[in-house]
Amino acid sequence: MAGIADLGVGIGWRPEIDLTVERLPGVDFVEVVAENLHIGHLPESVTLLLDRGVPVLPHAVSLSLGGAEEVDLARVEHLGAVAEAVGAPLVSDHVCFVRAGGLDSGHLMPVPRTRDALDVLVANVRTAQRNLPVPLALENVAALLEWPDGELTEGQFLAELVERTDCWLLVDVANLYANARNIGTDPGRFLDEIPLERLAYVHVAGGVEHGEVYHDTHAHAVLPEVLELLDELCSRVNPPGVLLERDDNYPSDTEIASELAAIRAVVDKKRD
Amino acid sequence: MATPTSTQGAQLSPEEIGFLAGGPGRAAETALARLLDAELVRVARDGRVSAVHQNGHGATTSLEARVLKQVRTPVWFHKVVKNAAKDQETQALHRRLLEAKLLRRSRKRIVVWWLLVAIGVLLGLLSLLMPALLFGAFAFLWAGLYLRGRRPLTRAGKAAVSGTPASDRVFAVARYGFFGTVAGQSVHELFELPKGVVKTASGQRKPAKRRRTGGSGGSSCGGGCGGSWSSDSNSDSGGGSSCGGGGGCGGGGGD
Repeated sequence: MAGIADLGVGIGWRPEIDLTVERLPGVDFVEVVAENLHIGHLPESVTLLLDRGVPVLPHAVSLSLGGAEEVDLARVEHLGAVAEAVGAPLVSDHVCFVRAGGLDSGHLMPVPRTRDALDVLVANVRTAQRNLPVPLALENVAALLEWPDGELTEGQFLAELVERTDCWLLVDVANLYANARNIGTDPGRFLDEIPLERLAYVHVAGGVEHGEVYHDTHAHAVLPEVLELLDELCSRVNPPGVLLERDDNYPSDTEIASELAAIRAVVDKKRD
Repeated sequence: MATPTSTQGAQLSPEEIGFLAGGPGRAAETALARLLDAELVRVARDGRVSAVHQNGHGATTSLEARVLKQVRTPVWFHKVVKNAAKDQETQALHRRLLEAKLLRRSRKRIVVWWLLVAIGVLLGLLSLLMPALLFGAFAFLWAGLYLRGRRPLTRAGKAAVSGTPASDRVFAVARYGFFGTVAGQSVHELFELPKGVVKTASGQRKPAKRRRTGGSGGSSCGGGCGGSWSSDSNSDSGGGSSCGGGGGCGGGGGD
């Protein structure tokens, strides 16, 4: 795959806001949570968007590629089947694990940034790639904790992951902001270290500060600081796509349109 | 916050026009329409209605406030209408319209009406042979006249409805319901709502046949036909009674 086609500005499709997504002006592409879709029973709204020519990208949350357990091939196959059903050019999941010892965390858990953990991740990613019909992009997660004895920065960890697996990157600037706030990640260094030429697209989301911790809720407005990080990223690379994620406490259509317009303004500023 | 009280001569609220045009179900639809118009609620393609904000702010009438409270967690579109139609706020709206003499209490045409009329006619014919039966004929026909049923809209109520155009999409719902049409366009399309969602709100009833183009009222009997009625603003002949009286739930008239 030579490169990612220009996707534009998009939004995460969710059933609660399906009509909103359908009628919002300027939605160039959407992302669906792969685990929520059933092959052969695509939601009418998703079908309608596909008929309009809107690209639909499956985004997974359950592959647990950073886990020590074997990759669940049924989940990978489902992701691949969704990709084929919607004609997606690529799929994505996270650099994380969500299961261990028979327990499901219910949360995207960060991977220890050690070489051993990277070896496990690389092996799992390669397994997933072998069983997927389209390229795989992997997303940096928001971490509330950092495992001890890390040997690599997050940027170095992702760079080596890309180098060894040839995967694409899905950079979530809201997660990057959360990590900067909560565990001291240096966003500038992160952006310096990751291979931006392998950037598939970007996530933007809202969150809220509670106590001393910033929570990447996807249920609050996008902070100006997150848009500033997007701006910083766009100063280094022209992202193929930028997508707004909203998962709860959905605001009005006008407010969502306003957030999309703010994102587009940042992206277009760099393209002018 | 209180539902605006209107009287004859004053500007009626969309909910009041909705109630006059289509009964409590239509008033409920109208409250929902206003909330949709103000982006205070949203509807998903599966027909679930949910509040955009959880604080209940933005409602301009008590009925709207009740609807907003109801949809803090998603509720099916038809349930929202059905529940709101039976709400005490809708009953209060009814009382105000009665006090304003825009409505009167309806009377259903009962089944024995046909029997009374038939007997009255029969006695009338027999009175040609036996004049004394004429009194009986009058008695039965008078009883038939009394029990013929009565639509709830007063002349002033009908004038209020016919004098209120579907000037915006909220008034379009008030006049014709989500399932109705105005100027050849389905009212639900004004809200970019799929027909499937609106059908559930309308109890999947077909819109009443109209004598004129320009507007037609869909049924708004989401609250059930009991207590609902229709008005026909095209006609001065007085309306049929409520659903039980054969008037059907189709309401509204053309502009």
